[in-house]
Amino acid sequence: MSSNTASSSAGAAGSGDSSAARKNSKRPKYSKFTQQELPACKPILTPGWVISTFLIVSVIFIPLGVISLFASQDVVEIVDRYDTECIPTPARTNKIAYIQGGGDKVCTRELKVPKRMKQPVYVYYQLENFYQNHRRYVKSRSDSQLRSPKYENQISACKPEDDVGGQPIVPCGLIAWSLFNDTYALSRNNVSLAVNKKGIAWNSDKEHKFGNKVFPKNFQKGNLTGGATLDPKIPLSEQEDLIVWMRTAALPTFRKLYGKIESDLEIGDTILVTLKNNYNTYSFNGKKKLVLSTTSWLGGKNDFLGIAYLTVGGICFFLALAFTIMYLVKPRRLGDPSYLSWNRNPGGR
Amino acid sequence: MVRSGSFHVDSSSASHRRTPSRTVTLGHIQPQAPSYRTVYCNDRESNQPVRFKGNSISTTKYNVFTFLPKGLFEQFRRIANIYFLGISCLSMTPISPVSPITNVAPLSMVLLVSLIKEAFEDWKRFQNDMSINNSTVEILQDQQWISIPWRKLQVGDIVKIKKDGFFPADILFLSSTNADGICYVETANLDGETNLKIRKALERTWDYLVPEKAYEFKGEIQCEQPNNSLYTFTGNLVAQKQTLPLSPDQLLLRGCSLRNTEYIVGAVVFTGHETKVMMNAMNAPSKRSTLEKKLDKLIITIFCVLVTMCLIGAIGCSIVTDREDKYLGLHKSDWEYRNGLMIGFFTFFTLVTLFSSIIPISLYVSIEMIKFIQSTQFINRDLNMYHAETNTPASARTSNLNEELGQVEYIFSDKTGTLTRNLMEFFKCSIGGISYGCGVTEIERGIAQRHGLKVQEEQRSTGAIREKGFNFDDPRLMRGAWRNEPNPDLCKELFRCLAICHTVLPEGDESPEKIVYQAASPDEAALVTAAKNFGFFFYRRTPTMVHVRESHVEKMGKIQDVAYEILNVLEFNSTRKRQSVVCRFPDGRLVLYCKGADNVIFERLGNGTDDIRKVTREHLEQFGSSGLRTLCLAYKDLNPETYDSWNEKFIQAKSALRDREKKLDEVAELIEKDLTLIGSTAIEDKLQEGVPTCIETLSRAGIKIWVLTGDKMETAINIAYACNLINNEMKQFVISSETDAIREAEERGDQVEIARVIKEEVKKELKKSLEEAQHSLNTVAGPKLSLVIDGKCLMYALDPSLRVMLLSLSLNCTSVVCCRVSPLQKAQVTSLVRKGAQKITLSIGDGANDVSMIQAAHVGIGISGMEGMQAVMASDFAIAQFRFLTDLLLVHGRWSYLRICKVVMYFFYKNLTFTLTQFWFTFRTGFSGQRFYDDWFQSLFNVVFTALPVIVLGLFEKDVSASLSKRYPELRASMRSRPKVPKK
Repeated sequence: MSSNTASSSAGAAGSGDSSAARKNSKRPKYSKFTQQELPACKPILTPGWVISTFLIVSVIFIPLGVISLFASQDVVEIVDRYDTECIPTPARTNKIAYIQGGGDKVCTRELKVPKRMKQPVYVYYQLENFYQNHRRYVKSRSDSQLRSPKYENQISACKPEDDVGGQPIVPCGLIAWSLFNDTYALSRNNVSLAVNKKGIAWNSDKEHKFGNKVFPKNFQKGNLTGGATLDPKIPLSEQEDLIVWMRTAALPTFRKLYGKIESDLEIGDTILVTLKNNYNTYSFNGKKKLVLSTTSWLGGKNDFLGIAYLTVGGICFFLALAFTIMYLVKPRRLGDPSYLSWNRNPGGR
Repeated sequence: MVRSGSFHVDSSSASHRRTPSRTVTLGHIQPQAPSYRTVYCNDRESNQPVRFKGNSISTTKYNVFTFLPKGLFEQFRRIANIYFLGISCLSMTPISPVSPITNVAPLSMVLLVSLIKEAFEDWKRFQNDMSINNSTVEILQDQQWISIPWRKLQVGDIVKIKKDGFFPADILFLSSTNADGICYVETANLDGETNLKIRKALERTWDYLVPEKAYEFKGEIQCEQPNNSLYTFTGNLVAQKQTLPLSPDQLLLRGCSLRNTEYIVGAVVFTGHETKVMMNAMNAPSKRSTLEKKLDKLIITIFCVLVTMCLIGAIGCSIVTDREDKYLGLHKSDWEYRNGLMIGFFTFFTLVTLFSSIIPISLYVSIEMIKFIQSTQFINRDLNMYHAETNTPASARTSNLNEELGQVEYIFSDKTGTLTRNLMEFFKCSIGGISYGCGVTEIERGIAQRHGLKVQEEQRSTGAIREKGFNFDDPRLMRGAWRNEPNPDLCKELFRCLAICHTVLPEGDESPEKIVYQAASPDEAALVTAAKNFGFFFYRRTPTMVHVRESHVEKMGKIQDVAYEILNVLEFNSTRKRQSVVCRFPDGRLVLYCKGADNVIFERLGNGTDDIRKVTREHLEQFGSSGLRTLCLAYKDLNPETYDSWNEKFIQAKSALRDREKKLDEVAELIEKDLTLIGSTAIEDKLQEGVPTCIETLSRAGIKIWVLTGDKMETAINIAYACNLINNEMKQFVISSETDAIREAEERGDQVEIARVIKEEVKKELKKSLEEAQHSLNTVAGPKLSLVIDGKCLMYALDPSLRVMLLSLSLNCTSVVCCRVSPLQKAQVTSLVRKGAQKITLSIGDGANDVSMIQAAHVGIGISGMEGMQAVMASDFAIAQFRFLTDLLLVHGRWSYLRICKVVMYFFYKNLTFTLTQFWFTFRTGFSGQRFYDDWFQSLFNVVFTALPVIVLGLFEKDVSASLSKRYPELRASMRSRPKVPKK
């Protein structure tokens, strides 16, 4: 409010050097920056440039797309949805009652190997419509508790699965509580097929995030049982199923590594899976799938990358072609001033 | 500065602010302060109870304690900051999906940057204040001059100011070392005028010069309360039981400096913030650019988008979560998950925090930074806009209107000093019905060229005198030849009138070659210079006398010094439009000389000289059509008795405390009548360099240019011709008050009748013109249109009932010339277009009379480096020459507009992509509001990671080079028709 212009002039008056300053030239100093003459490039989009750019893009992208599509096609994948099939027909009217009921819920599935699968063959379980990324779910864990026994009592984030009768649950929280607990036993031609469950978790997780002195305590002792139980004698850093599960998925449809088969599967082999169907996905209409898959240098089976490359490359090629034809059929002089807006409709003001 | 509101209030009616401190507030009744203040000179004790303000000034906004609260308050007046404060608070609660840092970090960073900027600016102001407050001044204490710092000065103190010193406060001038108690002051800090002004002490106080004597001075000053009017001061000095009237002549204002005087002694009247210059120090109304206003609307739109997104999410969440998802561990006890409505309600706020980044927090800060660099580095330092002759670079006085320059559609220009150079040269005159002077003006040459005539080469008679202010050539008048003319007596009166009737100050040697005239306006200097060259050399002025060295008066070749006693000066002002001097010849003859605008003088002529009057009117029209500025001169012989009785009234009016100006004007009317016409003078004002080209370029860029001038219609039209505004292919509509019907009504003299007739006439003309204009617009390739209207008609045309017609007519015209308009009308016309047509307007002018117009337009431009500083002080940009408008509008304005638009687009682009990704993710997390980005990434995204690219774009983006955009001004027109920012 009180700032003003006149005070500054009065200020100059106060210092009393106005006459000396007046003689100095006020001519601004030259610099490329202030005169806005810094070198710059402004490419002019001539037909030659545009067509060749599109061509180059398509030449690079189309082969890349083909290669990644082939890589994806190389991957052999067996997917078997079993959530409904594994409930006996009479119980299907009330799946939730069945899954919450007692008894062994054993179920067998037969899988045919369509193509030769080179080892290692990865065994995944795939859940759908399971929001592991739900805000309430994601934050319900205690990273410090998982890391070291010192922080056993840091369970404030874990509600509602934080303690049992005042005793902290280790590992606490909804994520650990809802640990996946279907098990798979595989056999090929009546010979059991070893599934290696070691080395399925990230090493960094094992070494840094899950302590080797932290043992499960009071786990699944609450009035509601969620998922799997943990052996209280094995430290968390060795509980690889838990570690895999605790790395929450970003999307509601996700696969988690169950184990690895370290032998080749031949074409036509029949694989018998004896699974225990324990995990309740029925209450939220989730799906459960068993997946056996090989990998390529690009990872698992996913055609998206190849298709994306092919599409972009294809569009560029088409544009290059279209522009070439336009250029040949109806060429236009570059920089024709008659196209300027003020030349186009004379009389317009 | 809470009191500032009352600064504007008329001091006589409501100056309740400056009362003795003892005022007590009783209910609603506040004791009325006296409408004057009493100051006891040289008596600190008597002044004590009143507690006048001290002389220290503070222009800072904050102090150490108020900085944080007040600074933050200022920041939170910005709606975006309030929004982010709200979001930050939300993010502290458990419903937030993000950690508080996400929103607190960018907000505090933005606040920090703004606060540092504020603190830095305030610190500079503080240092400035300190250096002023600590400069020293000598005051009288115990018969001695003692040096004290300015801040300790008090009202009533007797101070001594030495040569070239600055006045520390508003001081009543008591005595000076100069004879006759006068001193010279320079007011450059006040109004930028560098010519010296005379101040004159009251005769009774002349003696109080030495400390011993001054110590005895015990006066009582009764004067008006502090106010902001620089040129008025009324009061009385009561000393030795006598009451003496005080006038602005005795007041030395803070900020001015003493010149050509060894030292002066004065009494302090107003101090510190109560001085006139400080009271004037009001912030110019800050203008916001239209783009910024659009931006606000855009932000509101984005906010609506945000609310919609959150609503979708909230509804989604309440539908999806209303199931028994075991793994979420939902219990009935979780009250926020009790039912769909609750879930939706809380999710809404969760999502608001999550999506908050859709509103770009750093947008305003970045734009401010970009504009600041644009104006300080690019506009202020552009060598193309540096004027070497006056050593003036362009200066952007505000940085928030850069891009507005690129959108200007209407330019309102002053004529004198803006289109023309304001270097006045005496060019022609008419004496007793005979026209003298045989030069050809630039404008006449231009007219001749348009008519295809060959222009004669200028033939100057041998020995013609040419100097600054004088470009007159006619052997009939020079070197005493006027004695042989038919009317030698009138010639003599004309020359005397020129030499006597003025307020010019001579400086330097008293020889015709070396003398320098200090004049308030270049016209005056030109006239006095002319008198000098005709042989009436004005060489010395004392407060009561004007000394003129006259040649050839009695007989050829004889030179004599004559001293005329100046009895009264009736000063020039814009309402009177004339100036008179009553003087006594050495032989006792009493004469009133008067010069002024033709209509004013003609109204006041006596009977008898009808033929001269008629011929002179013709000459005036001729002069006007050659683009010359004309003045009429008249005189009147007075007899001593009438003069004495009049003089009494004059002195009474002069010592009036209230309405002095008005009373003086009334008294002047009494004597300024029955004048005898001498003749008229014509002064040429040349066009500024490059004006026609500049105007042509600008009109090619689709900008319409209006000229608003106080000059006569003929002069205005001719200037308009000369600078390409009007040409012969155009269809001209002229609405003038000089029609027969109006003149007839004027002669009948009834005011109400005149008003009615003029209004009718104007309405008729407007209607006719509008019909024609619309007709010619409908025909293909019809001629371009132009409108010329004079001030009197404009007054009626601006009437609400006719305003619409005037607007639609003038908007159809390519160029409009308004002549004989007052400063107020200039502003009215500007706001008519601004408000009525919703177009971006620009006003350009150089003088105090353009200030209101400059403030009324979207963008105000002052011409710097010439006459006064008032226009520059009120302006947003100051340039030295009219032609620099090309660079300012077509290069800087255009680029700034382009850049700021791109920056805004960029900002919204990056924030929308950032947030819409998050929005998409919300659908994949069961609308739970889980965040997609890392906390730190989200908080630094706007203020750090993406800050620089935007700023670089805002500084360096160019679509075409500067030379191309000047060569093809149409580029600008095409840019404007395609708004980059969606219109709301």
